[in-house]
Amino acid sequence: MKLSPLARERFTIFMMLFPTFLILVGFYLYPTLYNLELSFTDITLLKLRQGGDPVGLANYTEFLTSSSFFDIAINTVFWLTAISVVCRIILGLGFALLLNSNFLKRMHMTTLARLILLVPWATPPVVAVIAWRWLFDPTHGPINSWLLATGLISDPVAFTANLTTVWPSIVTIIVWNTTPLIGVSLLAALQTVPSDLLEASEIDGANRWQSFRFITLPYLMPTISVLTLMSVIWTFNNFVYVWLTTGAGPGTYTNVLATEVYLKAFVDLRLGYSAAIGVTMAIVMAAFGALYFRFFGLSDMQDKVG
Amino acid sequence: MDTQRPKGLAGLIENGALLTGFAIFAIFLLAPAFYVFKGSFENLSVSLVSSDGGWTLSNYVNIFSSGYYVYVINSLIVCITATFLACTISLFAAYGLSRFRFRGRGLVFGSIMGGQFFPWIILVNPIFILFARGGMINSQIGLILCYTAFITPFTIYLLVGYLTTIPKSLDEAAIVDGASRLTVVTKIILPIMWPGMVAAATFGFLQSWSEYLLALALITDDSMKTIPLGLYQYFGDVNVDWGAVMAGSVVATVPTLLLFLPLQKKLVSGLTSGATK
Repeated sequence: MKLSPLARERFTIFMMLFPTFLILVGFYLYPTLYNLELSFTDITLLKLRQGGDPVGLANYTEFLTSSSFFDIAINTVFWLTAISVVCRIILGLGFALLLNSNFLKRMHMTTLARLILLVPWATPPVVAVIAWRWLFDPTHGPINSWLLATGLISDPVAFTANLTTVWPSIVTIIVWNTTPLIGVSLLAALQTVPSDLLEASEIDGANRWQSFRFITLPYLMPTISVLTLMSVIWTFNNFVYVWLTTGAGPGTYTNVLATEVYLKAFVDLRLGYSAAIGVTMAIVMAAFGALYFRFFGLSDMQDKVG
Repeated sequence: MDTQRPKGLAGLIENGALLTGFAIFAIFLLAPAFYVFKGSFENLSVSLVSSDGGWTLSNYVNIFSSGYYVYVINSLIVCITATFLACTISLFAAYGLSRFRFRGRGLVFGSIMGGQFFPWIILVNPIFILFARGGMINSQIGLILCYTAFITPFTIYLLVGYLTTIPKSLDEAAIVDGASRLTVVTKIILPIMWPGMVAAATFGFLQSWSEYLLALALITDDSMKTIPLGLYQYFGDVNVDWGAVMAGSVVATVPTLLLFLPLQKKLVSGLTSGATK
């Protein structure tokens, strides 16, 4: 049987996209729906094969009314996400502005800076955590040795075990590992600010702050918005930084949603309950996603598809 | 902005402040990596409080004689295979998405955009259960499939962006000459978009190379572990074998540093395109 050209083209499209379709359905859509189904059961790791019994919304009500829910929510939203995202945007912006200054540009610092930024950026998160755990280490760590030597402290500080320093320590690790992306992106965005506008504003008597506030910043805003939302989504769901730095401890002091999902599934073996936490996270993230598309419409996507 | 350059003492102070700021940033960004690199060549046994000052290769010798190379080999097998699969799948998908108009195209592209931000933490439970039932725990094939799925959305996105810069007339001419679509993709498109493929492959490799969560959930057998899991073997309940950890960290990071250098610019334009246009 000979296929018509149209049918042949349809077949070609189908074959080209079929593997992608399998991936999207098999590894994204189906597991997501299956996770939703699991969240309404009491399945545990021990009765994996026979499956769990339906329990309705019990997992959700248990999680949302549990005594730890409030702490986990605050840890995730405030410490893990808000503080670390704000810090990395401000530091990234600061570094980009610094590198964009005439003096440092004249000293040809940009190439050097790109190489410097590369180091934390290319460091895998698992290694970033190791590096900082070493710096923070109370017995061998360079930070404690230095603080002791200068007399600023008289006893070593266990930065990742001490309740007042543990969150700032985790945030430091995340900021160190993620600021380069922000810095490099904003440095690129700074090149799009028209210099004749800045010169005109200066002739008109604007001071530096006014030039920055009313000319540079508006040009940077689209990039900052994209970076912020990307960072929020990515950090909110992040598991490795908290887990590898503190294991959600001391106790459960730094527990976040992502580590709670893992702890409930693989330590308490309650897969159904853990699935409900995952669904809760997905709902919160869907809200963020909606925000993203509301900010930027679908223009970016349409640009790409052409 | 050159006219804004301050003169005299004020200018000196300002330039000094700029240099100081740059130095502080540089120290913050470089010090952790520097200390790990330095530590990896020092003799820091578990019981030793401080190093003896000399430098040594013993940490590297120790980790490789105690089986660290198994993690390196596992990581290479899993990451290279997954990257190859993802790039092949993405090449065809990106071609199909950029060259044809068909029903459901917007949905496929939207799913790919969403897939880039998809939280894998919530897929860990269902995938673990499905894999456990299918006997895919401690299987490299299982991990390869997960990593392929994990990196595909971004590689498709990168390649679609690249393909839109290649004129359609090029492949249409070949079609008129009687070439099949498969020939067009492999003989005409692939050679042109080779830089894009290299970028996509580098990105895919880096993503899977540092992946921790899925490996943690799906691999429990020591002989199957990848580098990120292997590194944390040296963290005991009480003591940390810092010498081994730091040597292992350097081994884990050198390939990513080398691969990152040429990729840096592409990633920025890929991630924030549309915003900076």
